[in-house]
Amino acid sequence: MFDFRFYEIWRSEEFVQVLFEGAFNSFWLTTVGGIFGFILGTGLALLQDKSVFVGLRLLARSYVEIIRNTPFVVQMFFVAFGLPILLDMQWSFFASALLAIMLNFSAYFSEIIRSGIDSTPKGQIEAAYSLGFKKYDLVKDIILPQALEKVYPSLVSQFVFLFLTTGLISEIGIEDITWAGRFISDRNFRDFEVYLVLSAIYMSMSWMFILILNGCRRKLFPWRAEK
Amino acid sequence: MNEATNNSIVIENMNKWYDDFQVLKDINLTIKQGERIVICGPSGSGKSTLIRCLNHLEIYQEGKITVNDVHVFNGMKNPEAIRVEVGMVFQSFNLFPHLTVLDNCILPQLRVLGLDKVKARETAMTFLERVKIPDQADKYPAQLSGGQQQRVAIARALCMKPQIMLFDEPTSALDPEMVNEVLDTMLELAESGMTMVCVTHEMGFAAKAADRVIFMDAGQIIEDSTPTEFFENPKHERAKEFLGQIL
Amino acid sequence: MTDLLISIFGDFYGNMLGILLNATQWTIYLSLTAFVGGGIVGLVMTVLKISPSKPLRVFASMYIWFFQSIPLLMLLFILGLGVPVFFSIDVPPWLAASVALTLFTSAYLSEVWRGALQSIPKGQWEGGTAVGMTFSQNLIYIIAPQAIRIAIPSTVGFMIQVIKGTSMAYIINYDDLMRWGKKIANSQLDGAEPFIIFPIVGLFYFALCFPLSCLSKHLEKRLNTQNR
Repeated sequence: MFDFRFYEIWRSEEFVQVLFEGAFNSFWLTTVGGIFGFILGTGLALLQDKSVFVGLRLLARSYVEIIRNTPFVVQMFFVAFGLPILLDMQWSFFASALLAIMLNFSAYFSEIIRSGIDSTPKGQIEAAYSLGFKKYDLVKDIILPQALEKVYPSLVSQFVFLFLTTGLISEIGIEDITWAGRFISDRNFRDFEVYLVLSAIYMSMSWMFILILNGCRRKLFPWRAEK
Repeated sequence: MNEATNNSIVIENMNKWYDDFQVLKDINLTIKQGERIVICGPSGSGKSTLIRCLNHLEIYQEGKITVNDVHVFNGMKNPEAIRVEVGMVFQSFNLFPHLTVLDNCILPQLRVLGLDKVKARETAMTFLERVKIPDQADKYPAQLSGGQQQRVAIARALCMKPQIMLFDEPTSALDPEMVNEVLDTMLELAESGMTMVCVTHEMGFAAKAADRVIFMDAGQIIEDSTPTEFFENPKHERAKEFLGQIL
Repeated sequence: MTDLLISIFGDFYGNMLGILLNATQWTIYLSLTAFVGGGIVGLVMTVLKISPSKPLRVFASMYIWFFQSIPLLMLLFILGLGVPVFFSIDVPPWLAASVALTLFTSAYLSEVWRGALQSIPKGQWEGGTAVGMTFSQNLIYIIAPQAIRIAIPSTVGFMIQVIKGTSMAYIINYDDLMRWGKKIANSQLDGAEPFIIFPIVGLFYFALCFPLSCLSKHLEKRLNTQNR
């Protein structure tokens, strides 16, 4: 009844290669964007602390709300097509994609990290203060490590959820997995099979991300494993 | 007033409110260097709040607190300076769960005292030996019993070489069989001549170690006497009731 | 409406905003369809997931897992581009987009709802069983009323994901806010440069999402204070 022709994808060496390159590009763009997004997100979370100057706090808060309440495509098109004109600077679409991913991820991460920071037990803060800690050391050495450990699972699932939206970078010509799919289906007209295969690739890559990130957990937070 | 005295802590006419509710009323208390004070009283009497004001964990609205000849007040520039001289042990231990026992003792020395790692480690081990758990140094707090955790907390505070130690109900969160190991550590510390202020219901400890027992009720100090006096002949009705309940 | 916009913003921007506003209704329709459709399917899956029958539970788990793991973009491509080619049928973009978003929404909503159901203490189930209630009576009269209260804030919050998700439907030619925004940006007209038009489009989405975000947060706060 169904006439699946997956071999229409495998038979061409070019198609397979495009898929591999696409997967590679998706992987590293998401990873690097994710890492920078995490750093920026941590900063944004810290900027929302009560002790920060109110203007800066408001700025961080607005940024997070704007990103979280607008779609990634819009942000990406703005970064890729709007920002270069606005700033009168030129950069590659790769840089745009990376920037868009970073800016997008950071807002979601910051919200999660902030919830971790907010849930720091009062006793931890009092203990650090009673030992003579200054705020800066308290945040860096006590609050942040504990908060990150607590929200790590949420960060991982958010990261994977966001990874699944990165296919949109193909829209600005980044040769990622989705781009590879379009490339192939434009040539073999087997859209159905191609996107099924693509879905499987995305799924296995999410799986791989989860595996890697959960593997890092023990290394990153050794105290947790010992409980 | 500013010349050095041998008073560790001086509290004068101190009042504190939470919003409209007055938690501490007209507190006057002088604690000399090397004195061991036990503060007791029913829950909600303000005893924890009182000692938390001493290292500026809480602010007070009226009166004056002087710790080691430094005025402690709301808005003071550098509360860290006074906190280094005042160690504190909490009811719920408050060890840093993400650091090993050893690092719990080392990190504050690095960050606050600015010591180097080798020196800090040496000090940490000295005090862990003193509280008799050097063998647990590389474990995480969650792997230790409550009594062990509290002893680490004491060691961590001592690593900062404080001149005064505050204990905020250090044995209240412990299983009964672990109370004594912590009290023994405190007794030993008392014998070493440390100035100690302990909020505790452990009257055995008070009898053995305290120079004075202070009884608080409803935010006021209503008795300030030697342990013998306090146990044998409490002046106030509330103190009698309290002793009746606790002994 | 466009006349009013023209009188405020002038011919050019008034027209542009009119077009975008008109396109926004299609974003809203798609969001609502996905939310209602996804809600219904999600409800069925939630019930299956906690039902006494193991095969049904397994089926629901697989459904939820599958549609949470597959990118929404791929669902859109499969339904909007793949299915028409493979089955030689005509699938209008609105249908493909509605089905894709419904599947996406249902999987996430049933996950949220299952979490809410699971947060109800076991004793509540046992209490119902003890007085002779069947599974469905127990669920409807005892468990669901409590779970709904817990689930509402995140359900409202997920509505934002749905709205943002609809912005991908332009890829399969669904005529929504995003598609028109992109068309205008591509028009090369003065005053419709990408750095003007995309922030405006973003603002439209923000206007849809932000109130929901506030509502969700408000409901969550209220829930937390009630539970205290």
